[in-house]
Amino acid sequence: MERKGRKLGQMLLVTALAFSLAACGSSSGKDQAAGETSSKGKTAEPQKLSHLTYWVSMHPAAAAQMKSYAEMGMYKELENVTGVKVDFQHPPTDSAQAKEQFNLMMVSEKLPDVIETSWIGYPGGPEKAIQDNKIIKLNDLIDQNAPNLKKLLDEHPDWKKMVTTDDGSLYMFPFFRGGDKVRVFYGPSIRKDWLDKLGLQAPTTIDEWYQVLKAFKEKDPNGNGKADEIPLYITNGDIGTDAPFLGAWGINYGFYQIDNKVSYGPIQPEYKEFLTTMNKWYKEGLIDKDFAAPNDKLFDAKMTGNQLGAAPVYNGGGIGKYANLMKDKDPNFNLVAVPYPVLNKGDQPIWGQKDFAANGIGAAISTSNPNPVETVKWLDYAYGEKGNLLFNYGKEGEAYKMENGKPVFLPEVLNPPSGVSLQQSFGKHNRSTWSAPFVLSDDFQMQYLALPNQKDALTIWSTPTGERRMPLVTPTKDESSQYASIMTDINTYKDEMFLKFIMGAEPLENFDKYVKKIETMGIEDAIKIQQAALDRFNKR
Amino acid sequence: MWQVTNKKLMKANSSLDISKGQIIRKDLRRNWIIYLMALPVIAYYVIFHYGPMYGLLIAFKDYSPAEGIWGSPWVGFKHFDSFFNGIYFWRLIRNTLLINVYDLIFAFPAAIILALLLNEIRQMMFKRFVQTISYLPHFISIVVVAGMMFDFLSRDGLINQLLGMIGFEPIDFLKEAGWFRFVFVSSGIWQGVGWGSIIYLAAIANIDPTLYEAAKIDGASRWRQIFHITIPGIMPTIVIMLILNMGHMLSVGSEKVLLLYNPLTYETADVISTYVYRKGVLEASYSFTAAVGLFNSVISLILIVSANAISKRVSENKLW
Amino acid sequence: MIAQSTGEKVFGVINTLLMLLLCFITLYPFLYVLFASLSEASSFIQHRGLLLKPLGLNFEAYKAVFENPMITSGYRNTLFYVAAGTAINLFMTALGAYVLSRRNLYFKNILMFGIVLTMVFSGGLIPSYILINKLGMMNTPWALLIPGAISTFNLIIMRTAFQGVPVSLEESAKIDGAGEFTILFRIVIPLSMPVIAVMILWYAVGHWNSYFSALVYLRDRTMYPLQLVLREILIANSTDSMSTGVAADDKYAIGETIKYASIIVSTLPIICLYPFLQKYFVKGVLIGAIKE
Repeated sequence: MERKGRKLGQMLLVTALAFSLAACGSSSGKDQAAGETSSKGKTAEPQKLSHLTYWVSMHPAAAAQMKSYAEMGMYKELENVTGVKVDFQHPPTDSAQAKEQFNLMMVSEKLPDVIETSWIGYPGGPEKAIQDNKIIKLNDLIDQNAPNLKKLLDEHPDWKKMVTTDDGSLYMFPFFRGGDKVRVFYGPSIRKDWLDKLGLQAPTTIDEWYQVLKAFKEKDPNGNGKADEIPLYITNGDIGTDAPFLGAWGINYGFYQIDNKVSYGPIQPEYKEFLTTMNKWYKEGLIDKDFAAPNDKLFDAKMTGNQLGAAPVYNGGGIGKYANLMKDKDPNFNLVAVPYPVLNKGDQPIWGQKDFAANGIGAAISTSNPNPVETVKWLDYAYGEKGNLLFNYGKEGEAYKMENGKPVFLPEVLNPPSGVSLQQSFGKHNRSTWSAPFVLSDDFQMQYLALPNQKDALTIWSTPTGERRMPLVTPTKDESSQYASIMTDINTYKDEMFLKFIMGAEPLENFDKYVKKIETMGIEDAIKIQQAALDRFNKR
Repeated sequence: MWQVTNKKLMKANSSLDISKGQIIRKDLRRNWIIYLMALPVIAYYVIFHYGPMYGLLIAFKDYSPAEGIWGSPWVGFKHFDSFFNGIYFWRLIRNTLLINVYDLIFAFPAAIILALLLNEIRQMMFKRFVQTISYLPHFISIVVVAGMMFDFLSRDGLINQLLGMIGFEPIDFLKEAGWFRFVFVSSGIWQGVGWGSIIYLAAIANIDPTLYEAAKIDGASRWRQIFHITIPGIMPTIVIMLILNMGHMLSVGSEKVLLLYNPLTYETADVISTYVYRKGVLEASYSFTAAVGLFNSVISLILIVSANAISKRVSENKLW
Repeated sequence: MIAQSTGEKVFGVINTLLMLLLCFITLYPFLYVLFASLSEASSFIQHRGLLLKPLGLNFEAYKAVFENPMITSGYRNTLFYVAAGTAINLFMTALGAYVLSRRNLYFKNILMFGIVLTMVFSGGLIPSYILINKLGMMNTPWALLIPGAISTFNLIIMRTAFQGVPVSLEESAKIDGAGEFTILFRIVIPLSMPVIAVMILWYAVGHWNSYFSALVYLRDRTMYPLQLVLREILIANSTDSMSTGVAADDKYAIGETIKYASIIVSTLPIICLYPFLQKYFVKGVLIGAIKE
């Protein structure tokens, strides 16, 4: 008897467990349903907006110190000003994972009121998102209710073109980089102290670079008596970014356009000339032997170990970082920006890193939003004068003060305690060190960059015309899947051959064979897709 | 899926004299408590594994998040075509398979050998110490392990310095396609051998100690004990692990390869998962990924079923 | 006899040396991480090759890790997920393994095949997400505990162990009137303790290290497990320079050592689990206990 009783008890336990799970599930399901009806209830009186749900990926610098953007100085003040309480929904900070969650969210019916993401990355483009009934078209709403943004778009037709779809729809409150200074943050750099020691000028042409690198290699600029100098560090990742060095030949490592005609860089005769030069440099030991297997830690060790002469770097993550790391160790260490190399002296570089005014990120209003009119007004605040200050700097008195009519960050914001990065310190007050729906100002950037070398870098790297760059075009869904099929194989082959040609594993005589092969892999179709998308962009 | 196999099985049984209905009724009467115990487990598998299986459909569709799984348009075998006809298809298959074969030849036995050697340590404290130490690398994130490998394996790194001392030319381990599999599998052993041996240690602990006592009385040497008691004792575990391993022959995790490979080693290092990853960078292609996954599943199933059949024939051990 | 024992002695010595070597090469990565986490950030960046002691001594990285407001909640959540998750796992897996280890079950092979199929075929993330949503588990701890209640791999391993339990013991228990649950909990599980210990280890480590379900199913950051918090710390300190490329300060240097400090912080507790479980790996202890 006793045994049977226990057996029964155990069985009951199992079933109870199963049921309790089911019960748990359904009860929280009810809660959700209740939430939905109450939010729909608000539709009845659309005049007043008091509450918004806002989906946005949290930047890591903010995630390190707060649980939600609602704790940020700027949003606290925005709530005071507008009376709208924002309920932020944050996916994980990792961008790939955030994208994953975004795609899963698109499966569900009920969306947050405002969704801020890279809409240009929506499969099929933002126009498809409108057709899919996920977000609403904003043309009329902006026209009638967003005077600040409307004025801005009217003043800058080129910006407007970037944030309009091929079909002429406006769909988001975009992030704009206001001036050149906030669009440039990457470029070639060189050890000025080495140049000075050897009595050399900063190189501007490919030939001058060759002379300088040769001198770095042979004349022991680090003065340790060993020929351990690595004159130039450059990876195919660097070249792929915005074509430093390769750009001297007028092409890039992907698609580009001249007079609105699309071409593909790695099959041009100029590309062969570039490879020939790099092959020569590699053979003579001017390029880092490890360039094929790049590794950040090794790069750091080489740079701080006084071995590297030149490399394309980021302004903060390169020039700023190494200056700080080396300031006690080697007071002479001086890594400075140099212009993008060109072929003929005096030419203006064509290629270089410079972001467009808009990058496809912005806040859109979902079809679940019960009160689009008021939401548009709320979002428009950021593009006005007061909103601009709030979004760029934070709350007056807390983050900045006005001096001679100009906003200046408070010293405690600019000099955070050790262990807190400047970006985190700013992140407590504003979102201007990454992106948000507002216009990022140059003034801000000049206060953010601490070192003179970094400020110089902005000017030096700003020279490229960028005239051959492809704008941010949006292929249709079918186009993009065909494009991906073609280009995955082509990119694989192109990357392999890039290294093999430079390292001499593949003789340069085979360049024509290589071009043929890429042609058989369907590059023409990929070019057509890009061309069609560009044509649509130009017709906007 | 179950019904189908069920029918086949019933067909096979129908040739017997006793009717299958009788057998089933008798079975249910005798084992009803056991079937009741199985209920939560079956429910779990039905809800959380078989329920979502309709997701496999997207391999035959052009999935878009907004249209959902049912709403997305059918495209038939388009994604399979694009995978099979890609110029790198055979290279991807070869590389994925070979890494797994190397793993099977070297890493799989390594864990067993370590367990056997650990078992031969008589000093309890020392044994536990070695056990605990050897499983530590499992916990070090692969990013850090890869960073250390870059450092130690570079042209002027530690390994090449050691090789230089005994007169070898420096080897570019991470830039020569010929070395990739060796580097990948051996670093995998280094990181995983201790962790992998745990299951065999447990299996050894389950062996009846009286067997050893009897062997000692018979004067059997330690070697004989290893080969005649220990190894046969853990054979079921070894065989099951082997069969389960067969299910992974066409998958190599992308994370470690992505950290270690570069275009120079694509020739041997580019595997299915990394290719899918690179394609995903250009376009979030759920359907393509699902198609590759389904292909993978079918091959894995064939391998598991065959391994199980072989094992049934040559040993007592089987999955079903 | 004598020759044999010298042979065995030599084997013993070689074996011990081998194991010492193994200890050295497997302990080293861990020491490297430990030393790196305690190093002066700027010297560590410059360093290459073996690290035999911390470069300087510096707790900045640990300070940075513990300053994150979510570390304590992350620890608390993870402990709960590990404890609750492992308990559910063990119960369900033992149940399944027991059923599948019975010898005279008509539907056993079909069940087994159906279960193995799920190892190979999976519907993928999207339908699972929809399911979790429909079950109302979204943004609740259940989403991290229930969908992974059984690992099929572990189930099969456990079944194999259960099959090894001598039939005679079970039969004599049955004669004594024991029911199936009694046999499972009083005989089969106690006799399979080494494998149960392995299961505890595998499941607990699995829960400890897992972050993916949390990434997908949790919106509320106060429920984040430790691994997710640490991932964010890592990302915060490694992507700054890439994504924005404008900031400049000494935080970059610390970023590298923070990586290592967070590994120590996130693995030290779970590493300590193994030594406790090792006592179940001793031969014969349990059989004796049963026979008493």
